[in-house]
Amino acid sequence: MSADTPFVDAGDGSILGRDRSKAWDEPRGVRRWLRYLLLLVIAAIVLFPIYTTVLAAFSPTERVLQRRLVPGDVTFEVIGKAWTEGRLARYLWNSLVVSTAVTVAQMSTALLSGYAFAHLRFPFRKTIFLLFLATLLVPFEATVVVNLDTVESLGNTASWLGGVNTLQGLALPFLASAVGTFLIRQSLLALPPDLRDAARIDGITHLGYIRHVAIPLVRPTLGALGLFTFLSTWNQYLWPSQVITDDDFHTVQSGLRLLGKSALNEPNLVMAGTVIAAVPIAIVLIVFQRQLVRGLTAGAVKG
Amino acid sequence: MSAPSAPSSRRPASRRLVAAFGALAVVLAACGDGNSAIDAGRDDPDAVATTESEGDTVETTPEPPDSGGESADTAAEPDTDEPEAAAEPEEESVATTLPPVDLPPCPVDALDSADGPVEITLWFGLPTDLQAVLQSLVDEYNGSQDRVVVNIENQVDYESTIDSYQQLGTDQRPDVLLAPEFVVQTFAESETFIPVESCIQASGLDTSTFLPRALDTYRYGDLQWGMPFNVSSPVLFYVKPVLEAAGLDPDDPPATPDDVRAASEAIVSSDAATYGLVVDVSRDAAGAYIEQWFGQAEVPFVDNDNGRSARATEVLFDNDTGLEFFEFLQGLNRDGLSFNVGENPGGLDAFLKLVDPSEPGAMRIDTSAALGQLLAALDGGLGGELTRDDLGVGPLPGPTGAAAQVSGAALWIPADKGDASAAAAWDFTQFLIEAQSQSTWSAGTGYVPMRTDAVELDPIASLFESDPRFRVPYDLLAAPTDSPFSARPALGPQREVRQVIVDAIAQLYNDPDGADPAALLTEAAETSNRLITNYNELN
Repeated sequence: MSADTPFVDAGDGSILGRDRSKAWDEPRGVRRWLRYLLLLVIAAIVLFPIYTTVLAAFSPTERVLQRRLVPGDVTFEVIGKAWTEGRLARYLWNSLVVSTAVTVAQMSTALLSGYAFAHLRFPFRKTIFLLFLATLLVPFEATVVVNLDTVESLGNTASWLGGVNTLQGLALPFLASAVGTFLIRQSLLALPPDLRDAARIDGITHLGYIRHVAIPLVRPTLGALGLFTFLSTWNQYLWPSQVITDDDFHTVQSGLRLLGKSALNEPNLVMAGTVIAAVPIAIVLIVFQRQLVRGLTAGAVKG
Repeated sequence: MSAPSAPSSRRPASRRLVAAFGALAVVLAACGDGNSAIDAGRDDPDAVATTESEGDTVETTPEPPDSGGESADTAAEPDTDEPEAAAEPEEESVATTLPPVDLPPCPVDALDSADGPVEITLWFGLPTDLQAVLQSLVDEYNGSQDRVVVNIENQVDYESTIDSYQQLGTDQRPDVLLAPEFVVQTFAESETFIPVESCIQASGLDTSTFLPRALDTYRYGDLQWGMPFNVSSPVLFYVKPVLEAAGLDPDDPPATPDDVRAASEAIVSSDAATYGLVVDVSRDAAGAYIEQWFGQAEVPFVDNDNGRSARATEVLFDNDTGLEFFEFLQGLNRDGLSFNVGENPGGLDAFLKLVDPSEPGAMRIDTSAALGQLLAALDGGLGGELTRDDLGVGPLPGPTGAAAQVSGAALWIPADKGDASAAAAWDFTQFLIEAQSQSTWSAGTGYVPMRTDAVELDPIASLFESDPRFRVPYDLLAAPTDSPFSARPALGPQREVRQVIVDAIAQLYNDPDGADPAALLTEAAETSNRLITNYNELN
């Protein structure tokens, strides 16, 4: 695929090239405008709750109660109050630490286990892989109580590893995932076997292959996995609200619950907290958007 | 994500089949876990429909403690003329609650032998406004002595407090926690608490001035399990100028359901407000209101003397009293006289509806504990034109306008936290229920002092004088009564049964013309009975 060559409809993925607009059946004239109008309406519906949240966060309470949908009287007072009263600096830090730890750990474990399932030969390899996949069928909610038991008893026996009211306890159940293993395994299998043969002839070790061949080539998948992991860990609510009973260790999402119980005349305080909590994640999304899309579509054209 | 693409395989198909079965077995093992005591009652009621049987339900007739003392006076009247009082106290039965002889002792003197200050943690689940008042009491206690240091941890709400307590092991549990009335039976039967009865006896605490209703609510199996701390009662909040505009007397609020309906009609037809009563479908408000309704009608809500003489085995709300309650709510809703704010998370939405600038409601039945917050919010300009004097408080409207039951929460002391912790927890508990502490607490919040001598002390004494609204719930709860219905019904899955009821009420609201209250009531009763059977079998 090259963006410099003239568009040729060879059906080989050139749609990503310079002339991609021609590749789509894009209507002209009225139909085009109708299509955009439809998209605009859908976008407005999707964005409306976000709009009202942001609006409430920056409006004084009276205005919120009047349910005015037009901005006016912009105030940063509510945001400031949510920041201090909601102890959001502390909770954002907790979220950042936990999400980063989980992301790094999950990328590492997924890479190692994905490699093992893709390229190593060991007894019951397929069975174990199926067992891995089977865990995808068990929703996390079903395992909360057991996980809580585990984390709690670790707190008593090996507190460096976990425990209730610790950041380790927040991260522990998510350090490895079947999804990650599966994703990485599939993209490793999609690499040409010749690469691996060549590397082996050159005497490369397993870790050397991962480091010098696998990581550069599966980077899009790895990046997407990391981003998804970060986002989902950041947005976790159930687990933090179960494993944390001490105010100091909440993540930003479970900490927001406390804001929801604040004074009656500040119904927008929790909205302001929500906006603050969403800012870091929005930045991450915007910065890594391309990574996300590339990771998602990488498998789509390769098959 | 797409299904896993079949890995290129050279293995025979049978091998793959074995693997698939293995995977399935793991999944089944993960899902088919037996019920733990914690999960009891939270299970799908339908799952136990087939195991429903009357014969093997275990009843409890615990003996009174050997040194009864003053506690015997406060026990619910056992020999009422109530026809449903089916349990025969003489009957030999298997005791499932702690027999008194096995009561964990309350080591009230253990602080004397402790090395240095004992640090304890209190769990509670209250809004931040109330937390501030509690914190000031804690600071006062911590500053007043050097043997105990109390930390408080807000678990956001009661339900999270209970869930965290039940899910975590002893080490992670607090040394004292604030838990509400709907968990009395579950907690008492969990065998993880020191009944405060032991501590009362060991320390010789005089409880003669405590409100009997408050104590009774946290008694179970003839033992005082929790020590009431934040006592409240539902009251009728109303916006005085609206009642006035509708031609009603703002100083004579509606006292019965019929009054509420008539007032709502007057309010709506005169356009004084868009709606009369603001209602919800939350467990805390609507789910608890029906229990009050039955209490006021002096009709049992569950069997075995409202679950007080023995374990409740079935609900008794599928009758005329229940139907009146459902029809009252349905009628208001159908005729556009009430507005449903839904699940009312945090309790805020319903009050905000009273000050809604475009389509306000005029009345709200809610906990008296909100009074302090409401007045503060009005002072903060929440109601626009409305001032703090425009909020009226009246007794809870109910069938006879009589006995109100206690809401709020009590202090529970977990066992197995060590003697020093238990002693510290009891010492702190005693401080929180001192007359002066109760006076301060009530004046800062709107809760009812849980002892009669507290109302003679400032700040609550002068507040009662200057603002009689704070006195309304106190008068309701302090009124002498010999009614066995002055304590709430006790049942194991009380939280779940409340959810069943509010689900039925939600259906009434969602389909105002088509819903059949009698059928919904019957269905709710059947579901509730399955929950109770399930709980009793598992615990």
